[in-house]
Amino acid sequence: MESEVSAIARGLRRRDPDLLDRLIEQYQHRLLRYLVYLSGNRELAEDLFQETWIRVLERGHQYDGRHEFSTWLYAIARNLTIDYLRRKSPVSLDGLVDDEPHAPLELADTRPMAWEVVQQHEQAERISAALAAIPAEYREAIVLRFQDGLALEEIAAVTGAPLGTVKSRLYRGLNLLMGQLEGAQA
Amino acid sequence: MMRTAHDEARELFALAGAEDLSRGQEAWLRAHLQECAACRDYADAAGRVVRALRSLPLAADSALVRATQMRVRSRALELRQQQERIWLVCVSCLFVGLSAAITTPLLWRAFEWMGVWAGVSSWVWQAGFAFFWIAPTLFVSPLLLARGTHLASHGEGQWR
Repeated sequence: MESEVSAIARGLRRRDPDLLDRLIEQYQHRLLRYLVYLSGNRELAEDLFQETWIRVLERGHQYDGRHEFSTWLYAIARNLTIDYLRRKSPVSLDGLVDDEPHAPLELADTRPMAWEVVQQHEQAERISAALAAIPAEYREAIVLRFQDGLALEEIAAVTGAPLGTVKSRLYRGLNLLMGQLEGAQA
Repeated sequence: MMRTAHDEARELFALAGAEDLSRGQEAWLRAHLQECAACRDYADAAGRVVRALRSLPLAADSALVRATQMRVRSRALELRQQQERIWLVCVSCLFVGLSAAITTPLLWRAFEWMGVWAGVSSWVWQAGFAFFWIAPTLFVSPLLLARGTHLASHGEGQWR
């Protein structure tokens, strides 16, 4: 039986719109979350979300089906974000992301019940603010690892960084995040 | 700087999912956490942060998904049409090339015959042949340059 990745690779070569619809639905939350935390701005992330899928359509023939589709997708999203941020101002990604105000990132309203909502929302805002306050490369590694559940090797493939660098970013990023959260609680 | 057992334990805890630890590492980490209260606190705090990260609600709304799907479909259609036009241009070029290869010798002979029949010198009928041969190009090229080519006018301006 044909594996899922090779079916995706074949569909992308044919520019199959039904396959793309399915992939957009399947990866919508993960990709948007990654883009929001990478760019630090929800509106920009939504634009980049659309551009990412257009790029997937146009460059679909380049996906060889030997790696996970999500790794290739995140790499495209990452390159688009970096290109955009570099065009906006030619300094480091981190500096550009820090250009944005450190307001907590906008979160989706999941609407459960009464005080739980308030508590959950407060915690989510605290974590989002802490994430926004740490350097972009650490934030990226943390989101890919702990939110999107990518393996260390996959993160290395997405970011183009050596495995050792990925490990160090994760470790330092987690420590920084814990420090930010402790600071916020104190 | 010397790496202590505490550094190593914290790094292992921060980096590793259950699948990333070897049995030896897992046993060592468990033993160290039993002995070291500070690392246990660190593991608890890190665990709380990771759980909180995983529970962050951040979702794409359905309007964004629908808009993206429509944009992708529309771009796919454009690309397909562009590909069809390129195919048409290639076929036309092939047809024109073949037609030129067949008709050029015949046309040359026709001009030669007319030159002999009219009693003009060979450079006159050869110049006539050359003009006849390049006249369509001379006429069409400035027109295309003035209004842009068919491919350019359909391929540009659609990328947001």
